[in-house]
Amino acid sequence: MRKAAGTLLGKTVAGAVRLRGRSGGQAMPGLVVETLVPGYLGAMLKQLAQGVVIITGTNGKTTTTKMVVEILRSRGLRVLTNPTGSNLTRGIISSISRQAKVFGVLPFDIAVFELDEAYARQFTDVVKPRFVLGLNASRDQLDRFGEVDTVARLIGETMLSATEDIVTNADDKRLSVIASGVTVPVTYFGVSPSLLRFFPRDDELVSVDGQETTLQAANVPLAVELISFHDDRATYKIGEQEFKARLQLTGQHNFQNAAAALALVELISANGSDPLADIAALEKVEPAFGRGQVYALRNGSQLQLNLVKNPASFRQGLASYVRPDTHVLIAINDRLADSRDMSWLWDVDFSVLAGLSSQVWTSGSRGVDMALRLQYDEVKTGRVEPDLDRALAQFAKLEGDKVVLASYTAMLHLHALLERKAAKL
Amino acid sequence: MKIHILHIYPNDMNTYGDRGNLLVLKKRAEWYGLEPVIHYHNVGDELPKEVDIVLGGGGEDKAQDAIQADLMRIGGDLHRLVDKGVPMLMVCGTYQLFGKRFITHEGREIQGIGVFDLETFGGQKRMIGNIAVETKDFGTLYGFENHSGVTRLGPGQQALGRVVRGNGNNGEDKTEGSRTKNAIGTYLHGSVLPNNPRLADSLLRLAMDGQLTDTKAIDDSLAGLVRIQAKSRKY
Repeated sequence: MRKAAGTLLGKTVAGAVRLRGRSGGQAMPGLVVETLVPGYLGAMLKQLAQGVVIITGTNGKTTTTKMVVEILRSRGLRVLTNPTGSNLTRGIISSISRQAKVFGVLPFDIAVFELDEAYARQFTDVVKPRFVLGLNASRDQLDRFGEVDTVARLIGETMLSATEDIVTNADDKRLSVIASGVTVPVTYFGVSPSLLRFFPRDDELVSVDGQETTLQAANVPLAVELISFHDDRATYKIGEQEFKARLQLTGQHNFQNAAAALALVELISANGSDPLADIAALEKVEPAFGRGQVYALRNGSQLQLNLVKNPASFRQGLASYVRPDTHVLIAINDRLADSRDMSWLWDVDFSVLAGLSSQVWTSGSRGVDMALRLQYDEVKTGRVEPDLDRALAQFAKLEGDKVVLASYTAMLHLHALLERKAAKL
Repeated sequence: MKIHILHIYPNDMNTYGDRGNLLVLKKRAEWYGLEPVIHYHNVGDELPKEVDIVLGGGGEDKAQDAIQADLMRIGGDLHRLVDKGVPMLMVCGTYQLFGKRFITHEGREIQGIGVFDLETFGGQKRMIGNIAVETKDFGTLYGFENHSGVTRLGPGQQALGRVVRGNGNNGEDKTEGSRTKNAIGTYLHGSVLPNNPRLADSLLRLAMDGQLTDTKAIDDSLAGLVRIQAKSRKY
């Protein structure tokens, strides 16, 4: 009864929101159903024969979820997932009611949801996932959470709600400590010790003058290990076997995310795993919304759009996408979803930009603050244009390939512009 | 000429981007033709022999616990440096431990080294947001505060300045930060020094006994723009 009523209600609200021409109505149906039909979420998801999988963590949720979903689909599973950016409970309820048949039948085998680490609890209080993948815990928007340990605790609580297995990052000290003390089995992914320097952990981001920090691999057996990478190619060790992969997702962090995805999907295989087939599916995965998408511009050059949302992801963006001849536009806003506080920019080392022959521009409501930040790494800002539309239009005219590193709301704005008219820019 | 900058507890008290303060002092010193030497003091380390400026940053409650005993151990030496007039900038968590005591939300008392005559009480409410503070010696300071500690100054304790916007020490009496001789404590992140080059230069000048050559050598126009925007920011 609840299933049918909630589904009908959700679809009705979604229809009404559409009729009124409202955009961004993804949360509204979920909000209404959540309020009026208690128990809807749990009742609906109980139908799934293979249960629910949760992916959470500070960085990489969206891309890793996309990888896991596409690998599972390649196996013929019907996978329910939440659209990018709807990673709160009500967004998930919206997508469930939208995709359910009348009478509340949910035609899927398994659900894979990305959950915001701060709100995951609302979900796991109602639905116990079979598997939880905790990617990493890093300093995010401290004006949102207060402290890094709080972030880790929230992710830890979500991991502990897993009924069958926890998958987590052996190289994340905070998460691996939490995982080491639980009764649920834990599966680890990680990178080989020689690669650790490419994946600095949060506490190592703060090195002030390039001093060496001692790196130690966590002392646990790894289900999936990233053992090497070069350009778009990576080698993984799964169990005792090595596998080569060529990804469309660039960036070293995505090689690490892929290790996480592989560790998770190997657990889900019911009839024995087939890593070769999974890797073939992984190779087909394209970048998610604003996470490395490439656009062709009118002057024949390419522009890559990347979300940077905290020191760790900013550092990854700089290390992965900036080449000596790429022009760089850094767009920083200070709306709530970006972080009101600019302190985080001082935990990122920008000196890699100092040696570029290309241009570095800044934009966004905090474009000036960003330029000031660059000054102290001796990076000359070619232009400060706080207006995002103007900045993108002018930046697109530069000859040569370009990369845009944008905070969350700046990314959303630029993404909309690029989707609409990249070829005209 | 060498200038010795001591950053205390970078391994533990590093959560809020206060690394920017060290970077700004290092770079501005270089731009003024000085030779900055950076020293780090972590738990268990011995203090360096030469110290011209001391910096400390914000950190989590757990980090404060981790450094407390070590801070008490070197407290006498830090007091001697304060008495000698060595400039210091202690932000947030370290500022609190430079007071007399911190009483946590659960009522537990953590001793501080008492450079500043103040007490801090763990509060319920987090005071988060852009902040502007008027000071006598450094002009208006712009930064970002993010703390739940409520700090009350003792009767003789000089504040760093007066809150124009935001909460400051406690959200009640309009005071922000503390100053004892040349030691400054503040809740301002941001980081605070990049936005407030006058404060940065004052620390350098105090460290060099007033000798800072050609302060026109640095182009502070970007900081000027940041300050104009900060002044008119409504949130």
